[in-house]
Amino acid sequence: MNDVRDRLVGCFQGAFPALSRDAAIGATVENVKTWDSLKNFLLLTVIEEEFQLQIPQDDLDQLRTFAEIESYIASKTKG
Amino acid sequence: MKLLEAIRIVQAPAPEGAEPMSLALACGFTPDHFLTLLAAHVRAGKSKRILKTSVGRFGDLVGNVERLAALSGTANEAIVVPIEWTDLDERLGLRRLGGWLPEAFGDMIRTVNSRLLRIEAAVCRLASSSIVALSFPTLPLPPISYLPPNQAGCFETRLREEIAAAAARLAKIARVRIADPQAVDRCSVFSQRLDVRSELTYGYPYQTPHASALAAIFAALIDPPLPKKGLITDLDDTLWKGIVGEVGADQVAWDLDGHAQIHGLYQQMLRSLSAAGVLLAVASKNDAARVKEAFRRADLHVSAEHFYPMEVSWGPKSAAVSRILTAWNVGADSIVFVDDSPLELAEVKAAHPEVEGLLFPKGDEVAGYALIEQLRECFGKLGLGAEDAMRLESLRRGAEVRVKLDAADPEAFLSTIDAVIAISDERDSLNRRPFELINKTNQFNLNGHRVTETAWLARLADPNGFILGVTYRDKFGPLGTIGVVSGRCNGFALLLDHWVMSCRAFSRRIEHRTLSFLLERFDADEVLLDFEPTAKNGPLQEFLAAYLEEGEQLAPGLRITRSRIEACGPRTYHRIEEKPRE
Repeated sequence: MNDVRDRLVGCFQGAFPALSRDAAIGATVENVKTWDSLKNFLLLTVIEEEFQLQIPQDDLDQLRTFAEIESYIASKTKG
Repeated sequence: MKLLEAIRIVQAPAPEGAEPMSLALACGFTPDHFLTLLAAHVRAGKSKRILKTSVGRFGDLVGNVERLAALSGTANEAIVVPIEWTDLDERLGLRRLGGWLPEAFGDMIRTVNSRLLRIEAAVCRLASSSIVALSFPTLPLPPISYLPPNQAGCFETRLREEIAAAAARLAKIARVRIADPQAVDRCSVFSQRLDVRSELTYGYPYQTPHASALAAIFAALIDPPLPKKGLITDLDDTLWKGIVGEVGADQVAWDLDGHAQIHGLYQQMLRSLSAAGVLLAVASKNDAARVKEAFRRADLHVSAEHFYPMEVSWGPKSAAVSRILTAWNVGADSIVFVDDSPLELAEVKAAHPEVEGLLFPKGDEVAGYALIEQLRECFGKLGLGAEDAMRLESLRRGAEVRVKLDAADPEAFLSTIDAVIAISDERDSLNRRPFELINKTNQFNLNGHRVTETAWLARLADPNGFILGVTYRDKFGPLGTIGVVSGRCNGFALLLDHWVMSCRAFSRRIEHRTLSFLLERFDADEVLLDFEPTAKNGPLQEFLAAYLEEGEQLAPGLRITRSRIEACGPRTYHRIEEKPRE
């Protein structure tokens, strides 16, 4: 989980360079003002590249916080 | 390059001295990912420059190019235009549902033609002040045609004909650089280029590996690496197959019959490089008489006259390379050394770490062909000039002149060689030679300052400045345009901001005569030089030192008076010809 978290923090900081590690871990669509649709696209791309995943649009629509994305990745990369 | 890697490269602090490059991306897709990859590839390139970028409207590539062309006085250094099928007709993309009926094919071809003509007209305007880099569709056509996918019909071939015709017209225009489809194919798998989901959801059609490959090609087009200047080659099992000292001159081979065609291709490449002005020399541990005999063979594809010097001896190759570098008077970092022996490559590398050593792979045609392709990459240049054809010959003559100067009374010798210096107004944007000389000359260079294409064009258009080309010839033959001096005249003072001279022209006092000529031409009393010492401009410093007052040190802002020039300059014998602006 820590490995996933570290890599995901890297993705968030790539998309939102101003976020500290703690701010990235606590990030939500609501509290990160620059998290618009373009940033969402950027975040999606770097996460998919980093974790070798394809996140379907329907799943993506449900992922609105760092924590939700972290859980989602953990569930998809298990085993 | 992955996107996150590109983001990190772009977010890292710029290297000290990195110059900003203003760039516009004219595309029809959501630009952010591509811009990031482009910026990262430019940053990773030779000049590590930061990109200041601007983009246009989504889905309107043609309009974006036209709007950029309509803006005056805001020249970008480079414009990048990645064209895809959907930019030429939305029906050829995935985001518009305009129908794929056969009766629309003719109209699609007409639309493609008309948009290409609009792009062409705008690019012509843009290229008068910027580098314009274009790529033509890199993504697959959708399955529009009724034909089975393995068959190309009239529709597809007509579309491609339109593209090829537009590319051929644009390729002729100065400062237009077109991405070679072969280069794109080499580094990007065709079936892994289009990202359907991303195109439909975000309006961005590329998978990251393809976008990165395309961005890397654009980065190389707008900021190309400096080509190497010379190639030193081994002979046995490199220029030809076999050891000439063992099998004899008639048994070394470079053809299909001798199972040695790869050596013939290598010779053919060397001949082509020589025609493009690349210096060639030989460094071979060999029997000189046998080598001479081999070079007498009429079926060689590159002959002895294309090599200078020919270093054939039993001494270390590093020493041969040293002598060649001296004869060429170029830096080791602009040289490629090709040999079939890893040991020889290592020995040369130890003595000359900046020389790029390339292994000629013995008995491996695939690797041999890869080497030949790599040579084109090392030496590829943007254009050929008159000087390219005479470079090796003038070096050879230069060596003769130096020998005669050393042996004879220099005054007696220089007074009899019928030297002529032609000075020409070079404010002619079609002549690239002055621009190239300023950007590649190291040893006789006033300050090492390089100029961008945009800055150069601005200089050409500046009515208050001058840019003079210096061409030289004597009874031994012409050297071509060997120098450039630029600046402005401010009343009684002449201010020089660039002054470069090719090392081929050393030892002839051309620089001294040029300096006195400048004072005469502009009726100036003194010269102020924007001098800066660099690690490589020792010959320039040596020249300037002759004019220093007693106790004066070479320093930026150097000033030399007319009386000093008259008192300290050596006697010169050149006739000056002044050519007006063409």
